[in-house]
Amino acid sequence: MGSAVRIVDYGAGNLASVKRAVWRAGGEAEIAATPDALADADRIILPGVGAAGTAATRLREQGWSDALDEHVRRRGKPMLGVCLGLQLLAERLHEFGEHQGLGWIPGDVEAMPASADVRVPHMGWNEVTVAPDVRALFGTSSVSPIYYFCHSFRLVGAPDDIVVARTDHGGDIIAAVRTETVFATQFHPEKSQVEGERLLAAFLAWKP
Amino acid sequence: MVKGVRYTDHRDAGNPATVTRAHNAQDADELLLLDIDAAREGRGPDVLAIAKVAEECAMPLTVGGGIRDLATAAACIGTGADKLIVTSAALDRPRLIGELARVFGSQAVVVGIDVGGAAGSWYVYDHRLRRPAEMAVAEWIKRAPEEGAGEIRLMAVDREGSRGGFDLDLLALAQSLVQVPIVLEGGGGSLEHCDAALHAGADGIALGTMLVFSDYNLVKLSRYLASRGHRMRA
Repeated sequence: MGSAVRIVDYGAGNLASVKRAVWRAGGEAEIAATPDALADADRIILPGVGAAGTAATRLREQGWSDALDEHVRRRGKPMLGVCLGLQLLAERLHEFGEHQGLGWIPGDVEAMPASADVRVPHMGWNEVTVAPDVRALFGTSSVSPIYYFCHSFRLVGAPDDIVVARTDHGGDIIAAVRTETVFATQFHPEKSQVEGERLLAAFLAWKP
Repeated sequence: MVKGVRYTDHRDAGNPATVTRAHNAQDADELLLLDIDAAREGRGPDVLAIAKVAEECAMPLTVGGGIRDLATAAACIGTGADKLIVTSAALDRPRLIGELARVFGSQAVVVGIDVGGAAGSWYVYDHRLRRPAEMAVAEWIKRAPEEGAGEIRLMAVDREGSRGGFDLDLLALAQSLVQVPIVLEGGGGSLEHCDAALHAGADGIALGTMLVFSDYNLVKLSRYLASRGHRMRA
């Protein structure tokens, strides 16, 4: 691919898994330990395992939010957000208190309701409905590819025109959003075996 | 890597990375890597071994053994673990669960509960001391999510390695107490056992002996479960 992928290290991501998955998908990724390391990035991945409040604070305090703003929103570098990396894009995050997200997409991140039939966290493999016109973005030929989810919170209130995939777990869950040069998934492509590898390969080739 | 019966009598089950590659090729849904000696020997997780397994693992990797604070947990996550299991350390200090959840999120924190005995006489088993712990089984199951756990790994110790079937009564008890996913372990020995556990509503089943020391494999198992009406990945 020849494009330099940088993975944002804000202290609580599953960086090693993401790095290896990019490699399996045919790319080369390096971990960006500081915001300066995004300077030579062609593509950026914002991974995510962690609690939203801690992560949002770190993004701001360590200078990541300014750097991401510069490279992704101003310079138009493609970015892939994964799980928490999707949630952090929202305006408000309600996890262990209320926190401010990056505010790149309208909406809130809130706890998923549990019940006797619907266990939370939503953990495991689930079918995702992908709109036909964005299938290329997922690198899949399936109308309902299966990906691995692992989350207790979900994005709500995002406008329909940026939601490109949905799944169901005791109600509608936004599975992926796309806006400008940002593509973000609630599921984990780096843990989703073959379908995940296809998505990552598609991201490496994505020309938004 | 070893596989045992009731946490003892361990047989060598091969090199962890090689076994992982085999499971990965057969589309396992998740891999559970437990360092069963770490807590007993009072040492931290073997980060090097985790790294080797993670290398082969294009699926979720859950790691446990020797995680007793934020530093040991961060070392595991940084190496490629997606989820953490705390068992004895959580029993010693339940607040550890919340400390980990606030940093890594509840979805990354699994509490392992080892249960000895059978219905009516269940007790929480402390594998370090090889004797019952003070906490009552129902109390501990209920408390784990309250402290911040996102999943419970429920292990019927007396069935481990026995291939005599899962403890479905124990599963039913846990289901009545909590709303987080429950992964059931201990006793899986046949395709029918797996079908029964999923039918009873287990969110996941953990298999060790059945996969490592028999001619069952995940491909065979997935095909069978799909034929029994369970939703499996193709």
